[in-house]
Amino acid sequence: MSSLLHFSGHQHFRHRLVLSILSGRHVRVDKIRSDDKNPGLRDFEISLLRLLEKVTNGTVIEISVTGTAILLKPGIISGGAVTHDCPLSRSIGYFLEPVAMLAPFAKTPMQLTLRGITTDENDLSVDLFRTVTLSHLQLFGISDGLELRIKKRGAPPEGGGEAQFLCPIVKQVKTLNFVEPGKVKRIRGVAHAVRVNPQFSNRMIESSRSILNRYIPDIYLYSDVYKGDESGKSPGYALSLLAETTTSAIYCSEAISKAGVAPEDIGLEAARGLMAEVNLGGCVDRKHQILVLLMMVLGSEDVGRCRMSEPTPRTIQFLRDIKQFFGTSFKIVPAEHGSTQLLYSCYGTGYVNANRTLA
Amino acid sequence: AQTSLASSRKSRRKDWTKLIYATDLTPEEILRDTDREASDAKDAMDMDEEDFFQIKSRADNGEEVLDRSKEVWSAEELKKWEDEEMLESIRHLFITGEDNP
Repeated sequence: MSSLLHFSGHQHFRHRLVLSILSGRHVRVDKIRSDDKNPGLRDFEISLLRLLEKVTNGTVIEISVTGTAILLKPGIISGGAVTHDCPLSRSIGYFLEPVAMLAPFAKTPMQLTLRGITTDENDLSVDLFRTVTLSHLQLFGISDGLELRIKKRGAPPEGGGEAQFLCPIVKQVKTLNFVEPGKVKRIRGVAHAVRVNPQFSNRMIESSRSILNRYIPDIYLYSDVYKGDESGKSPGYALSLLAETTTSAIYCSEAISKAGVAPEDIGLEAARGLMAEVNLGGCVDRKHQILVLLMMVLGSEDVGRCRMSEPTPRTIQFLRDIKQFFGTSFKIVPAEHGSTQLLYSCYGTGYVNANRTLA
Repeated sequence: AQTSLASSRKSRRKDWTKLIYATDLTPEEILRDTDREASDAKDAMDMDEEDFFQIKSRADNGEEVLDRSKEVWSAEELKKWEDEEMLESIRHLFITGEDNP
Protein backbone atom coordinates (compact mmCIF):
# COMPACT_ATOMS: atom_id res chain seq x y z
CA MET A 1 0.00 0.00 0.00
CA SER A 2 2.91 2.34 0.63
CA SER A 3 3.94 2.45 -3.00
CA LEU A 4 5.21 5.83 -4.07
CA LEU A 5 2.85 8.32 -5.67
CA HIS A 6 4.22 10.94 -7.96
CA PHE A 7 2.95 14.47 -8.65
CA SER A 8 4.22 17.53 -10.46
CA GLY A 9 3.85 21.21 -9.77
CA HIS A 10 3.27 23.38 -6.74
CA GLN A 11 -0.49 23.38 -7.03
CA HIS A 12 -2.64 21.32 -4.71
CA PHE A 13 0.40 20.90 -2.46
CA ARG A 14 -1.50 21.01 0.82
CA HIS A 15 -4.09 18.36 0.17
CA ARG A 16 -1.54 15.99 -1.34
CA LEU A 17 0.51 16.14 1.84
CA VAL A 18 -2.63 15.51 3.89
CA LEU A 19 -3.68 12.55 1.75
CA SER A 20 -0.18 11.12 2.01
CA ILE A 21 -0.17 11.28 5.80
CA LEU A 22 -3.67 9.84 6.12
CA SER A 23 -3.09 7.02 3.66
CA GLY A 24 0.49 6.32 4.74
CA ARG A 25 1.62 6.39 1.14
CA HIS A 26 4.89 8.00 0.18
CA VAL A 27 4.67 11.01 -2.07
CA ARG A 28 7.11 12.66 -4.41
CA VAL A 29 6.32 16.11 -5.79
CA ASP A 30 8.64 17.54 -8.41
CA LYS A 31 8.76 20.45 -10.86
CA ILE A 32 7.80 22.82 -8.07
CA ARG A 33 7.90 26.16 -9.87
CA SER A 34 10.84 24.84 -11.90
CA ASP A 35 10.09 27.36 -14.68
CA ASP A 36 9.72 30.26 -12.31
CA LYS A 37 12.21 33.10 -12.03
CA ASN A 38 12.30 32.21 -8.37
CA PRO A 39 12.10 28.40 -8.42
CA GLY A 40 11.23 25.99 -5.66
CA LEU A 41 9.19 25.91 -2.51
CA ARG A 42 7.96 29.15 -0.94
CA ASP A 43 8.55 29.99 2.71
CA PHE A 44 4.95 29.13 3.64
CA GLU A 45 5.24 25.70 2.04
CA ILE A 46 8.44 24.97 3.92
CA SER A 47 6.72 26.22 7.06
CA LEU A 48 3.79 23.88 6.43
CA LEU A 49 6.18 20.95 6.06
CA ARG A 50 7.77 21.89 9.38
CA LEU A 51 4.35 22.06 11.00
CA LEU A 52 3.43 18.63 9.64
CA GLU A 53 6.68 17.31 11.06
CA LYS A 54 5.67 18.67 14.46
CA VAL A 55 2.22 17.09 14.52
CA THR A 56 3.48 13.72 13.32
CA ASN A 57 6.07 11.28 14.53
CA GLY A 58 8.58 9.58 12.28
CA THR A 59 7.87 11.64 9.19
CA VAL A 60 10.78 11.93 6.79
CA ILE A 61 10.89 14.88 4.42
CA GLU A 62 13.60 15.22 1.82
CA ILE A 63 13.87 18.45 -0.13
CA SER A 64 16.08 18.63 -3.20
CA VAL A 65 18.95 21.13 -3.29
CA THR A 66 17.08 23.43 -5.65
CA GLY A 67 13.88 23.15 -3.62
CA THR A 68 11.93 22.07 -6.69
CA ALA A 69 11.28 18.50 -5.52
CA ILE A 70 10.30 16.89 -2.25
CA LEU A 71 9.83 13.38 -0.99
CA LEU A 72 7.49 12.76 1.92
CA LYS A 73 7.49 9.54 3.89
CA PRO A 74 4.72 10.02 6.41
CA GLY A 75 4.89 8.85 10.00
CA ILE A 76 2.01 8.60 12.42
CA ILE A 77 -0.12 11.56 13.46
CA SER A 78 0.92 12.22 17.04
CA GLY A 79 -1.06 15.35 17.96
CA GLY A 80 -0.59 16.83 21.43
CA ALA A 81 0.48 20.36 22.30
CA VAL A 82 2.22 22.08 19.40
CA THR A 83 3.08 25.73 18.80
CA HIS A 84 3.92 27.10 15.40
CA ASP A 85 4.81 30.54 14.09
CA CYS A 86 3.30 31.04 10.65
CA PRO A 87 5.15 33.18 8.11
CA LEU A 88 3.48 36.45 7.17
CA SER A 89 3.17 35.35 3.53
CA ARG A 90 0.04 33.32 4.35
CA SER A 91 -2.56 33.50 7.07
CA ILE A 92 -3.15 31.04 9.90
CA GLY A 93 -6.01 29.57 7.85
CA TYR A 94 -3.56 28.13 5.31
CA PHE A 95 -2.06 26.02 8.09
CA LEU A 96 -5.26 25.27 10.01
CA GLU A 97 -7.11 23.73 7.11
CA PRO A 98 -4.76 20.78 6.52
CA VAL A 99 -4.26 20.23 10.24
CA ALA A 100 -8.03 20.05 10.77
CA MET A 101 -8.11 17.16 8.29
CA LEU A 102 -5.47 15.26 10.25
CA ALA A 103 -6.17 16.11 13.89
CA PRO A 104 -9.20 13.81 14.42
CA PHE A 105 -6.97 10.83 13.58
CA ALA A 106 -4.10 11.69 15.90
CA LYS A 107 -2.73 9.60 18.74
CA THR A 108 -3.63 12.22 21.33
CA PRO A 109 -5.97 15.23 21.10
CA MET A 110 -4.41 18.17 19.30
CA GLN A 111 -3.81 21.49 21.03
CA LEU A 112 -2.26 23.57 18.32
CA THR A 113 -1.29 27.20 18.85
CA LEU A 114 -0.68 29.17 15.65
CA ARG A 115 0.68 32.69 15.51
CA GLY A 116 0.50 35.05 12.55
CA ILE A 117 -2.18 36.66 10.41
CA THR A 118 -5.69 35.73 11.50
CA THR A 119 -7.68 37.11 8.53
CA ASP A 120 -6.71 37.56 4.90
CA GLU A 121 -8.30 37.28 1.48
CA ASN A 122 -6.85 33.92 0.47
CA ASP A 123 -7.68 31.45 3.19
CA LEU A 124 -10.39 30.89 5.73
CA SER A 125 -10.16 33.43 8.50
CA VAL A 126 -10.16 32.27 12.10
CA ASP A 127 -13.76 33.49 12.33
CA LEU A 128 -15.01 31.36 9.45
CA PHE A 129 -12.95 28.43 10.67
CA ARG A 130 -14.48 28.70 14.13
CA THR A 131 -18.09 29.21 13.07
CA VAL A 132 -18.28 27.20 9.85
CA THR A 133 -15.43 24.70 9.47
CA LEU A 134 -15.85 23.31 12.98
CA SER A 135 -19.58 22.80 12.31
CA HIS A 136 -18.67 20.75 9.27
CA LEU A 137 -16.41 18.51 11.35
CA GLN A 138 -19.30 17.98 13.75
CA LEU A 139 -21.32 16.45 10.91
CA PHE A 140 -18.92 13.53 11.11
CA GLY A 141 -19.09 13.02 14.85
CA ILE A 142 -16.00 15.06 15.65
CA SER A 143 -17.40 17.32 18.34
CA ASP A 144 -16.53 16.88 22.04
CA GLY A 145 -14.02 19.55 22.95
CA LEU A 146 -13.71 20.82 19.39
CA GLU A 147 -12.82 24.48 19.66
CA LEU A 148 -10.92 27.38 18.17
CA ARG A 149 -9.91 30.13 20.57
CA ILE A 150 -9.02 33.44 18.99
CA LYS A 151 -6.55 34.83 21.50
CA LYS A 152 -5.26 37.77 19.49
CA ARG A 153 -6.19 39.32 16.19
CA GLY A 154 -3.52 39.89 13.58
CA ALA A 155 -4.24 41.81 10.39
CA PRO A 156 -1.88 41.78 7.41
CA PRO A 157 0.87 42.73 6.74
CA GLU A 158 2.43 42.48 10.22
CA GLY A 159 0.10 39.95 11.83
CA GLY A 160 0.70 39.38 15.52
CA GLY A 161 -2.43 37.28 15.98
CA GLU A 162 -2.79 34.00 17.83
CA ALA A 163 -5.33 31.20 17.74
CA GLN A 164 -5.53 27.88 19.53
CA PHE A 165 -7.13 24.87 17.89
CA LEU A 166 -8.39 22.09 20.12
CA CYS A 167 -9.50 18.89 18.43
CA PRO A 168 -10.68 15.60 19.93
CA ILE A 169 -9.67 12.26 18.45
CA VAL A 170 -12.12 9.77 17.03
CA LYS A 171 -11.94 6.08 16.26
CA GLN A 172 -13.89 6.44 13.06
CA VAL A 173 -15.92 9.17 11.37
CA LYS A 174 -19.65 8.84 10.80
CA THR A 175 -21.15 8.26 7.38
CA LEU A 176 -22.71 11.42 6.02
CA ASN A 177 -26.16 11.56 4.56
CA PHE A 178 -26.89 15.21 3.88
CA VAL A 179 -29.14 15.78 0.90
CA GLU A 180 -31.75 18.25 2.11
CA PRO A 181 -30.50 21.85 1.96
CA GLY A 182 -33.51 23.31 3.80
CA LYS A 183 -34.23 27.02 3.95
CA VAL A 184 -32.24 29.80 5.54
CA LYS A 185 -33.60 30.49 9.02
CA ARG A 186 -30.95 32.68 10.57
CA ILE A 187 -27.99 34.86 9.72
CA ARG A 188 -25.04 35.40 12.02
CA GLY A 189 -21.92 37.48 11.64
CA VAL A 190 -18.80 38.72 13.32
CA ALA A 191 -17.30 42.11 12.62
CA HIS A 192 -13.94 43.14 13.97
CA ALA A 193 -11.80 46.24 13.65
CA VAL A 194 -8.29 46.43 15.07
CA ARG A 195 -6.04 49.46 15.30
CA VAL A 196 -8.64 51.58 13.52
CA ASN A 197 -11.70 53.49 14.69
CA PRO A 198 -13.81 50.89 16.58
CA GLN A 199 -16.92 52.39 14.96
CA PHE A 200 -15.87 50.67 11.71
CA SER A 201 -17.38 47.41 12.98
CA ASN A 202 -20.78 49.02 13.42
CA ARG A 203 -20.58 50.72 10.05
CA MET A 204 -19.96 47.35 8.32
CA ILE A 205 -22.81 45.79 10.28
CA GLU A 206 -25.23 48.60 9.40
CA SER A 207 -24.55 48.48 5.69
CA SER A 208 -24.77 44.69 5.43
CA ARG A 209 -28.09 44.81 7.28
CA SER A 210 -29.44 47.08 4.56
CA ILE A 211 -29.35 44.01 2.31
CA LEU A 212 -29.98 41.21 4.80
CA ASN A 213 -32.90 42.65 6.78
CA ARG A 214 -35.37 42.10 3.96
CA TYR A 215 -35.26 38.32 4.22
CA ILE A 216 -35.55 37.20 7.80
CA PRO A 217 -35.78 38.80 11.24
CA ASP A 218 -33.35 36.39 12.94
CA ILE A 219 -30.12 38.26 12.27
CA TYR A 220 -27.45 38.76 14.86
CA LEU A 221 -24.22 40.47 13.87
CA TYR A 222 -21.68 40.72 16.61
CA SER A 223 -18.99 43.33 16.93
CA ASP A 224 -15.94 41.60 18.36
CA VAL A 225 -13.66 43.96 20.23
CA TYR A 226 -9.95 43.38 20.71
CA LYS A 227 -7.83 45.92 22.51
CA GLY A 228 -4.16 46.70 23.10
CA ASP A 229 -1.83 43.75 22.75
CA GLU A 230 -4.70 41.51 21.60
CA SER A 231 -5.28 43.51 18.45
CA GLY A 232 -2.06 42.61 16.66
CA LYS A 233 0.46 44.76 14.89
CA SER A 234 -1.37 46.14 11.85
CA PRO A 235 -4.64 47.98 11.28
CA GLY A 236 -7.49 46.12 9.60
CA TYR A 237 -11.14 45.19 9.75
CA ALA A 238 -13.41 42.54 8.30
CA LEU A 239 -16.93 41.18 8.36
CA SER A 240 -17.69 37.48 8.16
CA LEU A 241 -21.26 36.31 7.65
CA LEU A 242 -23.01 32.96 7.72
CA ALA A 243 -26.50 31.83 6.87
CA GLU A 244 -27.83 28.68 8.51
CA THR A 245 -30.71 26.65 7.14
CA THR A 246 -33.42 24.59 8.79
CA THR A 247 -31.35 21.46 8.13
CA SER A 248 -28.15 23.09 9.48
CA ALA A 249 -26.50 23.67 6.13
CA ILE A 250 -24.26 26.72 6.38
CA TYR A 251 -23.30 29.24 3.71
CA CYS A 252 -20.65 31.82 4.50
CA SER A 253 -18.87 34.82 3.10
CA GLU A 254 -16.34 37.34 4.20
CA ALA A 255 -15.03 40.73 3.16
CA ILE A 256 -11.81 42.31 4.33
CA SER A 257 -10.60 45.89 4.58
CA LYS A 258 -8.82 47.22 1.51
CA ALA A 259 -6.99 50.49 1.16
CA GLY A 260 -9.30 53.28 0.10
CA VAL A 261 -12.54 51.32 0.58
CA ALA A 262 -15.07 52.49 3.15
CA PRO A 263 -16.30 50.09 5.86
CA GLU A 264 -19.81 50.43 4.40
CA ASP A 265 -18.63 48.94 1.12
CA ILE A 266 -16.93 46.07 2.93
CA GLY A 267 -20.23 45.36 4.67
CA LEU A 268 -22.08 45.36 1.34
CA GLU A 269 -19.48 43.13 -0.27
CA ALA A 270 -19.83 40.54 2.51
CA ALA A 271 -23.64 40.60 2.26
CA ARG A 272 -23.62 40.27 -1.53
CA GLY A 273 -21.12 37.43 -1.32
CA LEU A 274 -23.44 35.68 1.11
CA MET A 275 -26.41 36.08 -1.22
CA ALA A 276 -24.36 34.58 -4.06
CA GLU A 277 -23.54 31.57 -1.85
CA VAL A 278 -27.17 31.17 -0.76
CA ASN A 279 -28.15 31.24 -4.43
CA LEU A 280 -25.70 28.42 -5.24
CA GLY A 281 -27.35 26.38 -2.51
CA GLY A 282 -26.67 22.80 -1.61
CA CYS A 283 -25.79 21.41 1.81
CA VAL A 284 -22.13 22.44 1.90
CA ASP A 285 -20.61 25.64 0.60
CA ARG A 286 -17.73 25.75 -1.88
CA LYS A 287 -15.05 26.52 0.67
CA HIS A 288 -15.74 23.25 2.46
CA GLN A 289 -16.25 20.85 -0.42
CA ILE A 290 -12.83 19.29 0.01
CA LEU A 291 -13.09 18.79 3.76
CA VAL A 292 -16.51 17.15 3.48
CA LEU A 293 -15.54 14.91 0.55
CA LEU A 294 -12.43 13.76 2.39
CA MET A 295 -14.40 12.83 5.51
CA MET A 296 -16.92 10.98 3.34
CA VAL A 297 -14.10 8.87 1.89
CA LEU A 298 -12.79 8.13 5.38
CA GLY A 299 -16.29 7.22 6.62
CA SER A 300 -17.44 3.74 7.66
CA GLU A 301 -18.06 1.12 5.00
CA ASP A 302 -21.38 2.44 3.86
CA VAL A 303 -22.61 4.83 1.19
CA GLY A 304 -22.21 8.48 2.14
CA ARG A 305 -24.19 11.09 0.27
CA CYS A 306 -24.04 14.86 0.09
CA ARG A 307 -25.72 17.48 -2.07
CA MET A 308 -23.47 20.34 -3.16
CA SER A 309 -23.00 22.84 -5.92
CA GLU A 310 -20.69 22.21 -8.87
CA PRO A 311 -17.12 21.32 -7.91
CA THR A 312 -14.50 24.05 -7.87
CA PRO A 313 -11.25 23.48 -9.81
CA ARG A 314 -9.57 22.55 -6.51
CA THR A 315 -12.30 20.04 -5.76
CA ILE A 316 -11.98 18.39 -9.17
CA GLN A 317 -8.25 17.86 -8.68
CA PHE A 318 -8.88 16.69 -5.13
CA LEU A 319 -11.34 14.05 -6.34
CA ARG A 320 -8.74 12.77 -8.79
CA ASP A 321 -6.04 12.70 -6.15
CA ILE A 322 -8.32 10.89 -3.69
CA LYS A 323 -8.79 8.18 -6.26
CA GLN A 324 -5.03 7.75 -6.49
CA PHE A 325 -4.48 7.63 -2.76
CA PHE A 326 -7.50 5.67 -1.60
CA GLY A 327 -8.88 4.11 -4.79
CA THR A 328 -12.26 5.67 -4.04
CA SER A 329 -14.24 7.41 -6.73
CA PHE A 330 -17.44 9.37 -6.27
CA LYS A 331 -20.62 9.05 -8.19
CA ILE A 332 -21.71 12.56 -9.17
CA VAL A 333 -25.17 13.04 -10.61
CA PRO A 334 -27.59 15.98 -10.84
CA ALA A 335 -29.48 16.32 -7.57
CA GLU A 336 -32.79 16.60 -9.38
CA HIS A 337 -34.11 17.43 -12.80
CA GLY A 338 -33.37 21.02 -13.71
CA SER A 339 -31.04 21.67 -10.80
CA THR A 340 -27.41 22.78 -11.09
CA GLN A 341 -26.76 21.12 -7.76
CA LEU A 342 -25.14 17.71 -7.70
CA LEU A 343 -25.40 14.65 -5.53
CA TYR A 344 -21.99 13.27 -4.55
CA SER A 345 -21.91 9.75 -3.20
CA CYS A 346 -19.16 7.30 -2.38
CA TYR A 347 -18.54 4.12 -0.48
CA GLY A 348 -16.53 4.88 2.66
CA THR A 349 -13.16 3.20 3.12
CA GLY A 350 -13.86 2.39 6.76
CA TYR A 351 -10.78 4.30 7.83
CA VAL A 352 -9.90 3.52 11.43
CA ASN A 353 -7.69 5.71 13.57
CA ALA A 354 -4.84 3.30 14.23
CA ASN A 355 -2.78 5.95 16.01
CA ARG A 356 -5.27 6.32 18.85
CA THR A 357 -4.01 5.28 22.24
CA LEU A 358 -6.23 2.61 23.65
CA ALA A 359 -7.94 3.77 26.80
CA ALA B 1 -31.35 35.40 -16.87
CA GLN B 2 -31.19 34.01 -20.41
CA THR B 3 -27.56 33.08 -20.15
CA SER B 4 -27.85 31.49 -16.72
CA LEU B 5 -30.72 29.38 -18.01
CA ALA B 6 -28.64 28.25 -20.97
CA SER B 7 -25.66 27.39 -18.83
CA SER B 8 -27.75 25.43 -16.35
CA ARG B 9 -29.18 23.44 -19.20
CA LYS B 10 -25.68 22.62 -20.38
CA SER B 11 -24.43 21.53 -17.00
CA ARG B 12 -27.42 19.25 -16.70
CA ARG B 13 -26.10 17.33 -19.65
CA LYS B 14 -22.61 17.22 -18.24
CA ASP B 15 -21.47 13.80 -17.05
CA TRP B 16 -19.36 14.86 -14.09
CA THR B 17 -18.24 11.41 -13.05
CA LYS B 18 -16.91 10.74 -16.52
CA LEU B 19 -15.33 14.17 -16.96
CA ILE B 20 -13.48 13.94 -13.67
CA TYR B 21 -12.32 10.35 -13.70
CA ALA B 22 -12.10 9.37 -17.36
CA THR B 23 -10.68 12.40 -19.13
CA ASP B 24 -7.41 14.31 -19.10
CA LEU B 25 -9.10 17.70 -19.13
CA THR B 26 -7.79 20.13 -16.57
CA PRO B 27 -10.26 21.19 -13.85
CA GLU B 28 -10.52 24.59 -15.53
CA GLU B 29 -11.36 22.99 -18.88
CA ILE B 30 -14.08 20.89 -17.32
CA LEU B 31 -15.67 23.94 -15.75
CA ARG B 32 -15.21 26.18 -18.76
CA ASP B 33 -17.41 23.81 -20.73
CA THR B 34 -20.34 25.26 -18.84
CA ASP B 35 -20.23 28.60 -20.60
CA ARG B 36 -19.00 27.55 -23.93
CA GLU B 37 -20.45 30.45 -25.89
CA ALA B 38 -18.24 32.89 -24.07
CA SER B 39 -15.08 30.82 -24.31
CA ASP B 40 -15.66 29.68 -27.87
CA ALA B 41 -15.25 33.20 -29.14
CA LYS B 42 -12.08 33.57 -27.18
CA ASP B 43 -10.73 30.22 -28.30
CA ALA B 44 -11.36 31.12 -31.93
CA MET B 45 -9.32 34.24 -31.48
CA ASP B 46 -6.54 32.30 -29.85
CA MET B 47 -6.55 29.89 -32.77
CA ASP B 48 -6.10 32.68 -35.28
CA GLU B 49 -3.03 33.94 -33.58
CA GLU B 50 -1.70 30.51 -32.86
CA ASP B 51 1.79 30.04 -34.10
CA PHE B 52 4.17 27.15 -34.18
CA PHE B 53 5.73 28.36 -30.98
CA GLN B 54 3.56 28.60 -27.94
CA ILE B 55 4.27 30.63 -24.85
CA LYS B 56 4.90 28.33 -21.99
CA SER B 57 2.07 28.40 -19.44
CA ARG B 58 1.57 31.25 -17.05
CA ALA B 59 4.66 30.62 -15.00
CA ASP B 60 6.41 33.41 -16.83
CA ASN B 61 3.73 35.96 -16.17
CA GLY B 62 5.01 36.37 -12.64
CA GLU B 63 1.57 35.96 -11.09
CA GLU B 64 1.09 32.37 -9.95
CA VAL B 65 -2.11 30.56 -9.10
CA LEU B 66 -2.37 30.53 -5.35
CA ASP B 67 -3.43 27.47 -3.40
CA ARG B 68 -6.33 29.26 -1.75
CA SER B 69 -9.40 27.89 -0.10
CA LYS B 70 -11.64 30.93 -0.27
CA GLU B 71 -13.39 31.00 -3.60
CA VAL B 72 -13.77 34.67 -4.43
CA TRP B 73 -16.65 36.13 -6.33
CA SER B 74 -15.73 38.28 -9.27
CA ALA B 75 -16.69 41.95 -9.20
CA GLU B 76 -19.37 41.34 -11.86
CA GLU B 77 -20.83 38.47 -9.90
CA LEU B 78 -21.16 40.70 -6.85
CA LYS B 79 -22.49 43.57 -8.95
CA LYS B 80 -25.46 41.39 -9.87
CA TRP B 81 -26.60 41.57 -6.29
CA GLU B 82 -27.03 45.30 -6.40
CA ASP B 83 -30.13 44.60 -8.41
CA GLU B 84 -33.43 44.59 -6.50
CA GLU B 85 -34.91 41.87 -8.72
CA MET B 86 -31.94 39.62 -8.18
CA LEU B 87 -32.24 40.02 -4.42
CA GLU B 88 -35.96 39.18 -4.60
CA SER B 89 -35.27 36.13 -6.78
CA ILE B 90 -33.75 34.14 -3.90
CA ARG B 91 -36.48 34.93 -1.37
CA HIS B 92 -37.84 31.38 -1.72
CA LEU B 93 -34.60 30.07 -0.22
CA PHE B 94 -35.47 31.65 3.13
CA ILE B 95 -38.05 30.35 5.61
CA THR B 96 -40.07 33.51 5.18
CA GLY B 97 -40.38 33.02 1.41
CA GLU B 98 -42.99 31.18 -0.63
CA ASP B 99 -42.38 27.55 -1.55
CA ASN B 100 -42.60 28.07 -5.27
CA PRO B 101 -40.76 31.05 -6.69
